[in-house]
Amino acid sequence: MKRKSDKAWYALFVLPLVFVFTTVVIIPFFIGIGYSFISWDGMPLNKKTFVGFSNYIQLFSDKNFISSAGHTLLFTVAAVLIINILGLAFALLVTGKLKVRNIARTMLFMPYLIGGLILGYIWQFIFTDVFKSIGETTGLTNIFFSWLLDPKFSLFALIIVATWQMAGYIMIIYITGIQAIPEDVVEAAQVDGANFWQTLFRIKFPLIMPSFTICLFMTLSNCFKIYDVNVSLTKGGPNRATEMLAMNIYNEIFSLNHYGYGQAKAIIFFVVVAVITLIQVSITKKKEVVM
Amino acid sequence: MKMKKIFRILLVMTLIGIMTLTGCGGAKDNKSANSDGKTAEKEEDKTNSEEKGTTESAKKIVVFQSKVEITDQLKALAQEYKAETGVEVEVWNTTGDDYLQQLKIKLGNNQGPTVFSLAPGSESNELSAYLADLSDLSFVGDIAENMADVKEGKVTGIPYTVEGFGVVYNKGLIDASKVTDFASFETMLKEQKDAGINGFSLSSESYFLIGHILNTPFALQGDPGAYVEQLIKGEVTLEKTPEFVEFAKFMEAIRENTNNPLEVKYDKETGDFAMGKSASIHQGNWCYGMFADYDVNFEMGMMPLPILGNDKIAVSVPTCWYVNSQATDAEIQAGKDFIEWLYTSETGKKYLMEEFGFIPVVANMKNEKLDPLSQAVAEYTNGGKTIPWPMNSYWPAGIVDVYLVPVAQEFFTTNMTGTELLQALNEAFVEAGK
Repeated sequence: MKRKSDKAWYALFVLPLVFVFTTVVIIPFFIGIGYSFISWDGMPLNKKTFVGFSNYIQLFSDKNFISSAGHTLLFTVAAVLIINILGLAFALLVTGKLKVRNIARTMLFMPYLIGGLILGYIWQFIFTDVFKSIGETTGLTNIFFSWLLDPKFSLFALIIVATWQMAGYIMIIYITGIQAIPEDVVEAAQVDGANFWQTLFRIKFPLIMPSFTICLFMTLSNCFKIYDVNVSLTKGGPNRATEMLAMNIYNEIFSLNHYGYGQAKAIIFFVVVAVITLIQVSITKKKEVVM
Repeated sequence: MKMKKIFRILLVMTLIGIMTLTGCGGAKDNKSANSDGKTAEKEEDKTNSEEKGTTESAKKIVVFQSKVEITDQLKALAQEYKAETGVEVEVWNTTGDDYLQQLKIKLGNNQGPTVFSLAPGSESNELSAYLADLSDLSFVGDIAENMADVKEGKVTGIPYTVEGFGVVYNKGLIDASKVTDFASFETMLKEQKDAGINGFSLSSESYFLIGHILNTPFALQGDPGAYVEQLIKGEVTLEKTPEFVEFAKFMEAIRENTNNPLEVKYDKETGDFAMGKSASIHQGNWCYGMFADYDVNFEMGMMPLPILGNDKIAVSVPTCWYVNSQATDAEIQAGKDFIEWLYTSETGKKYLMEEFGFIPVVANMKNEKLDPLSQAVAEYTNGGKTIPWPMNSYWPAGIVDVYLVPVAQEFFTTNMTGTELLQALNEAFVEAGK
C-alpha cells in the first residue's frame, strides 16, 4: 500500500520532466545524429543527400574547426582555473568576519544576473574606448590599448569577462559548501593548533569536495559551450583569434548553410565535452569524503 | 486514511489532467503541421479554417522583413491597411543582424510569415522553393528592367527600392572632380590627414568593413558572375587581376592614412562625418537617416570609388518582397493583395515614397522629396553610370561574415601587404565556394 503511493508520488514529479526532456532533448538529439550523415542546407523543401561518414572525415582536416577547438581548450582551461580560484576566494572572504559581507555577496553575484550579451557589449566599450583613453592619459600604452584588436589580448579579454560573469555564481555554491562545515570540526582543529592554511587545506577543502565537483562541472561545461559573451564581445575576431567551437558550429550551419556538416561538428563537440566532464566528475567524486 | 484517499484522488486527477493537456497539445500541433499549418499563431489557424470556403483571402497576414529603418513606418502602414481593407497585418520585429537565420528557422518549421524580404541573388536562390509566383500582380509589367527577381520565367520578388553606395563625401572638404584615380585619392587622404581630418572611413560591421568596398573590383569585371566562378575553380587569381591589384593599393592607403576601421562602428562613422571630423565615408544612400540627429551644416554628395578611374557607383535592388509559397492559399492571396495595395493604392504609394524614402522602381511613381544621397543615386542611375552588386548575386552564401571579415581584420591589425591581402581573399573565396 505504502509503496504504491510512493511510486505514484514519484511519478507525479518525474513524469512531466521526463516528457519534456524526451521531447526537447533526447529526440532532437537522435534526429541530429541522423542529420550529421547527410549533406543539406537546412531548408525542408531543399534536397538532402546521404553522404555517410564524409562529414566526420572532412572536419578533421578543417583548419578553422581545429583552431577554434584550440582556442576553446585554452579558454576553458584558463577560465575554469581563474573562475574557481576567485569564486572560492570570494566565498571564503564573505563567510569570514568581513563587516560588509552581505553587500559584498550581492555585488559579487550581480554580474551573473546581467545577460552574457549585454555584459559583452559593456566590456567591449571598456576594452576599446576606456582602455584607449586610459592609455592616452597615463602613457601606459603597452597595457592600455584596444585589447580587442590584438589576437592574444582579445582571448584574455574574453577570459576576464567570462570570469566576471561566472565567479559570483560559483561563489554562491562554495558558500553553501563552506556553511555546511560543522563548527566543531574547525574549532577542534584550531584548538589543536592548526593555522589558517592548515585548516583550509586539511579540514575545509576535503569537506567541501562536493562543491568542487559541482563547480568544476558547471564551469567546465559552461566554458566549453560559451557563445553569448563570445558573440557580443569579439564576434570571433580579430581574424578568428577568439572564435570558439560553439560559434564555429553556428556559423557553419546558419551562415554557410552547411547543416549536415555543422551537425557533425556539433556531435563531435558533444562527445568531447561529455567525455571531459564525465572524467572530471568521476575523479572529483572519488575525493569526496563522507562525514 | 481519509487524507491518503483524498491525496490519491487528487494525484490521479492531476496526472490525467497533465496527460490530456499534453496529449491535446501534441495532437493540435501535428494537425496544424500536416494540414493547413504554416501559420505563426494558433489563433490564426482558427480564423483560417473558419474563413475557408467562405472567402478567398485570409483576414490576417504576418510581415517579416529585414529593413530595420522602416519598421515603425511599416507598423503605421499596417494600421492604415487595416482601416482601409479590414485585413490585419502583423509586423514582426527584427534586429537586422540575424534576420535571415530567424526567417530560415521559421520557414523551416512551417511557422513562416506570409510576406517576407530577401536579398535577390544567393539568398533568394537558396530559398526558391519557398517563393510564391507573383507574376499576376497588376503592376509587374511596370517594374523597371532587371529589377524584379525572376525565377524560371516567374516573377517572385518585388523590389523595395534601389540603393547605391560609393564614397559619401563632404562637399565643403573634398572636390569630387579632383578625385578620379588612385593617386588623387591618396593625395586627398594625405591632405585631409595634414589638416587634422580623417579623409575616409570604413566601419567595423562586416559589409561596411569589407563587403561593399570589395564589391567594386568584382563589379568592374566584364562578367562578374563568370569571374567569381573561375576564381573559385582557381582559373583566375585576384593578384593577377588589375582591378584587384589597384584595390589592394587603396586598402593600403586607407590603412596608412585613416582611422582603424575596426575601432569605428556605424554610429561613429556616420556621426564623425556629420560633425565634419571625417571628410568622406564608404556608405550608401541608406545612411542619410543617420544624420537626422545632427545639425549637418554642409552639402554632401556621393562619388565613385575611383578604382582604375572607375566613375560609376554600385546600384542595385537590396531587397525584394516575397510571398511564402508554403502558406495557405488564402494567406498567399492576402499577401499578394497587400503587396498589390502597397504599390498601387494612394496610401501605399505615399508610404513607399514619403515614409520609407524609397527611390521609385515602378513606372508612374515619383518621389519628389528624395534626400541628397538618394538624389545622387537617382542621377547616377538615370545617367547609366552604375555597376552591379556581385556580392549579392554571385558571392557564395555567408562569405562576408565568416571568411572575408577575418581577413580584413588581419589586414587592419597587422602589417600584411596588399598582395598578401589579395592572396588571403583569394583563398577565402576558394574555401567558401567549395
